[in-house]
Amino acid sequence: MFRLVLRGVRAHLGRLILTLISVVVGVAFVSGSFVLADSLRTIFDQVSEDAFAGVDAQIRAVEGEINSSSADIARFSDDVIDVVADLPEAAYVEGGIFSFEKAYTIDAAGEVVRPTGPPVFTGSWDGPSPVSSFRIIDGAPPRGQQVVLDPVQATAGGFSVGDEITISLPTGDPERFTLSGTIDFGEGGTGGAYFILFDLPTTQRVLGLDGLVDSIVVAAADGVSPEQLVEAITPVLPDNLEAVTGDVVIGEQQESFGSFISIFGNVLLGFAVVVLFVSTFIIHNTFATLVGQRTRQFGLLRSIGASASQIRRMVLIEASGVGVAASVLGLLGGLGVASLLKQLFSAGGGEFPDGPLEIRSRTIIVVVIVGMVVTLVSALLPAIKAARVTPLEAFRSGGRRERSATFRVVSGSAVLAPGLVLMAIGMFGNAGGTASRLGVLGVGGALTFIGVSMLSAMFAGPVASAIGAPIARLRGVPGSIARGNASRNPQRTSATATALMIGLALISGVAVLTQSILDTFDEILSESISADLFIFESNQGLEFSGVLVDQLGAIDDVDQVSGFATIEVLIDGEPRSATGFDSSTGTSVVNMGVIDGTAEVGQDGIALLDDRASELGINVGDLVSVEFEDGYRTDLTVRGIFDDAAVVESDWLLDRELTRTHTITDDVAFIGLTYVDGADPIATRAAVEEVASAFPQLSVQDNTEFQEEAQGQIAQLQIVITGLLVLCLVVAFFGIVNTMALAVLERTREIGLLRAVGMTRRQLQSSVRWEAAIISLFGALLGVALGLLLGSAAVIAIPDSFVRTIGIPWGQLVAYIILGGILGVIAAWFPARRAARLDVLDAISTD
Amino acid sequence: MCWQTADMTATTPIIAAAAAVDAVKTYGSGDAAVTALDHVSVEFAPGKFTAIMGPSGSGKSTLMHCLAGLDELTSGEVTIGDTELSTLNDRQLTELRRTQVGFIFQSFNLIPTLTAEENIVLPLTLGGRKGDRQWIDTVIDTVGLRDRLSHRPNELSGGQQQRVAVARALASQPTIIFADEPTGNLDSNSGGEILAFMRRAVDEFGQTIVMVTHDANAAATADRILFLNDGQIVHDMSEPTADKVLDMMKSIGN
Ligand SMILES: Nc1ncnc2c1ncn2[C@@H]1O[C@H](COP(=O)(O)OP(=O)(O)OP(=O)(O)O)[C@@H](O)[C@H]1O
Ligand SMILES: [Mg+2]
Repeated sequence: MFRLVLRGVRAHLGRLILTLISVVVGVAFVSGSFVLADSLRTIFDQVSEDAFAGVDAQIRAVEGEINSSSADIARFSDDVIDVVADLPEAAYVEGGIFSFEKAYTIDAAGEVVRPTGPPVFTGSWDGPSPVSSFRIIDGAPPRGQQVVLDPVQATAGGFSVGDEITISLPTGDPERFTLSGTIDFGEGGTGGAYFILFDLPTTQRVLGLDGLVDSIVVAAADGVSPEQLVEAITPVLPDNLEAVTGDVVIGEQQESFGSFISIFGNVLLGFAVVVLFVSTFIIHNTFATLVGQRTRQFGLLRSIGASASQIRRMVLIEASGVGVAASVLGLLGGLGVASLLKQLFSAGGGEFPDGPLEIRSRTIIVVVIVGMVVTLVSALLPAIKAARVTPLEAFRSGGRRERSATFRVVSGSAVLAPGLVLMAIGMFGNAGGTASRLGVLGVGGALTFIGVSMLSAMFAGPVASAIGAPIARLRGVPGSIARGNASRNPQRTSATATALMIGLALISGVAVLTQSILDTFDEILSESISADLFIFESNQGLEFSGVLVDQLGAIDDVDQVSGFATIEVLIDGEPRSATGFDSSTGTSVVNMGVIDGTAEVGQDGIALLDDRASELGINVGDLVSVEFEDGYRTDLTVRGIFDDAAVVESDWLLDRELTRTHTITDDVAFIGLTYVDGADPIATRAAVEEVASAFPQLSVQDNTEFQEEAQGQIAQLQIVITGLLVLCLVVAFFGIVNTMALAVLERTREIGLLRAVGMTRRQLQSSVRWEAAIISLFGALLGVALGLLLGSAAVIAIPDSFVRTIGIPWGQLVAYIILGGILGVIAAWFPARRAARLDVLDAISTD
Repeated sequence: MCWQTADMTATTPIIAAAAAVDAVKTYGSGDAAVTALDHVSVEFAPGKFTAIMGPSGSGKSTLMHCLAGLDELTSGEVTIGDTELSTLNDRQLTELRRTQVGFIFQSFNLIPTLTAEENIVLPLTLGGRKGDRQWIDTVIDTVGLRDRLSHRPNELSGGQQQRVAVARALASQPTIIFADEPTGNLDSNSGGEILAFMRRAVDEFGQTIVMVTHDANAAATADRILFLNDGQIVHDMSEPTADKVLDMMKSIGN
């Protein structure tokens, strides 16, 4: 029997290989996700180890301290350095401070030197030491008005050791520094990030953090273990500081990188699951067709003594073969997918650190299981069907009993109904957060796909016939033959179309969501923003020095200026994120939708979002207690309640005068300003840009530019997601190739007949292609319709603050439908050629 | 084993290779109902070659399918050897087809992906058996396929393919072989050869064969001919000759 299977496999090798491809694509994506995540984890584990290689203990702020700067870790006084250095257990002590996107080198042409994607670090370096992971490549460590850079940045800016270079600083006044050397980080280079390093006092001065450090690293004296060192340090530290061993720090770093990488890996796996889901339909369809074609053979085998379970096993063994081959190929393909993904993300703006790709045994096991399970599950129904073939079917042509229409309607509805219900729960249910609602929506969506796919066989015939009608009219005989063929096996038409349907549904769902986000964004901009210009850091949305607010206010034609700072505070004992803004001017640049009282809170007042107010039962006039990161505590009067947090992005509003007094750094997230009436917009803007140029990382944009930039970013995200989803289309594509190849094979005799009665090769080819086009258009139409549904459902499920209006990108959707049709024609290319090349006599005499 | 059975049933006459008692087969229901077999009772003696004739649609194939356990009767009984088919479940029926029954069809007799030899031993390999190699060699030599064993069906002529089918039916030494128009697709030469092989199988190996045919000359090579019309046996002819057959066919045709 095994031989029978082998021979069968050999005979249908072509068809099985096509099936194989659809499994391999999905499996390769799974394996690629694992490989990429594992490789990244290894690289970052190494980075973490390198970074703290010689560190026996680290002193840092106790976690839980309020820390206003969102990007940096908490800072503390550098007095501790001397105290710790006096301990006999400490051999070497070094305090350091780090920050990112605060200073930039400026090249000879006056342009900012910065990478696209990775950050620019500014920090302190005392030169090579037991605890430092930087190594000098060239020159010497920085002293005083000197700086060292990484070689990539030096090359990009055209700087050589010894040069005087200009560096923009958060103080707003660029300074000149001498490049004393270039450095390298650990073993693995800098991973695309740029480094600007000064000695500690200079760093503290240029960052405006005099007397502060964010970490102190210590090397233990000979014979002192890291644990003993930590024990010795702890008693001399103030309450707000703690000491931990280097291993602890490494572990924490690895964990935080690790959890980020896990999220990343899981997102990829999510896409892989979608691709596998699509493959399942293709594999199922191929096996179903293969079984259908071999009905007579199974009947013959049954009549000479093969048992039902032998037939079932034959099909399943064949499927296992495909599964094994797909797993192996998919595993290797995973390496390719991983490198491809790396490139895709690099193109999307991220930079991937270099390192070898690694396949862990867990990857192998998971991939093999996934490949086998997906293939076997897909082949299960066809195998059961094959086993049901009766001996008599060996010599009865046609007359296959199909499952009754009622069965389809009932089972299809039984899947569709819960799918729709789950989608409704995801959209309108109150329980759980956005993530769980989207999860429910996703499961509902998957069930909807399956249900629609099952039901689609019901209307595939008439719809395909309707789509084919104009084609039949235009293309004559080949057109009507194509139309007839596309509608004659509705089950196959719907199964083939399903893969395309799911792929396009997801892609157009993403398109709808993207359009909705853009529309919402437009709405927010026009409703909530009344500023003429916006100033912000566009690369990563990082904070920058608030001194700019006053500088801009000094410009003649600038009317109102407000900076918006995001800070952490304790309100009535609860940690909250709040926004400090210039409350006397802020309301004229941003509209918060004040519904009660005023947003001009003043230094002794506070305003909050309506949702928060009703949740906490707070009204205008109430007092709330606020504690800042410096420990200052005060009671503020609630002055107003607002309902639009789209721009300020926090639920509590305070005056910036108050917040900056009680935070270490006077940073803001963005600045908005208006022109005085009758000011020349071009001249005023030029003046603003002139002032802002001291901070080269900042963008100055008006509403339209802001909108365009946001659109660009969102569109880029859409490209990345769509790029991943295109894999579904690849799978669907092979599905169409497969179906058409099988159809041509099945109809060999008929094709011979057509040719014998005078159809030309060209006509035959065109009829096969049109048939594929009709099937694909059917799938594309369904897909885009479902995509509309899914996308709109997602918009409803996601909170209004993020997206609230449903936007429909009609142009894109129509393009996807046309794309579907074209995909079909291309997929049918080879099957059509094959059909056209069939020898007429051979074809007619085929069984 | 065989002797024992004979002893135990010594009081009854020799057990028929296959028999039908009051067999009825109806297709469809209500107005559209077709009675393909109308209370047919018949026995096939072991070691005999029986032909079944009758006009198209008279129920010949239906009778064969029901006798071979490929299809179920609406009412009545069918036995192969001493086994009553209606008592068997699908697994037992499969086992019966594998070991006790051989079948030769008019066309599409072979698995296209297997060689001639593999096709011949397929019923044995399906049952995980090797079979009697000497017997299989005898069969292969009898049908003259020695030099074609490694060929695929599409590399064989129609006559050769049918010889492979005959060899396959003989290979498992079944109780009875059913052949439904085995020469229907062949020219008279190849058809004659196939008939000769079946005749030899009966004469030399004591094989029981039941064959449906439309050809009077082919039928005349059998030991006995059953004539069917409208689902009923209308005549049972022994020691047939071509002339007698032709006369009979004419009378049924009228
Ligand atoms: N699956 C079926 N469904 C309905 N009616 C059937 C079926 N199979 C056979 N019949 C009917 O039963 C009757 C007997 O058919 P059968 O195939 O036994 O005839 P036959 O004698 O073998 O004819 P032929 O010489 O043409 O092969 C015919 O009237 C036929 O139409
Ligand atoms: Mg017949």
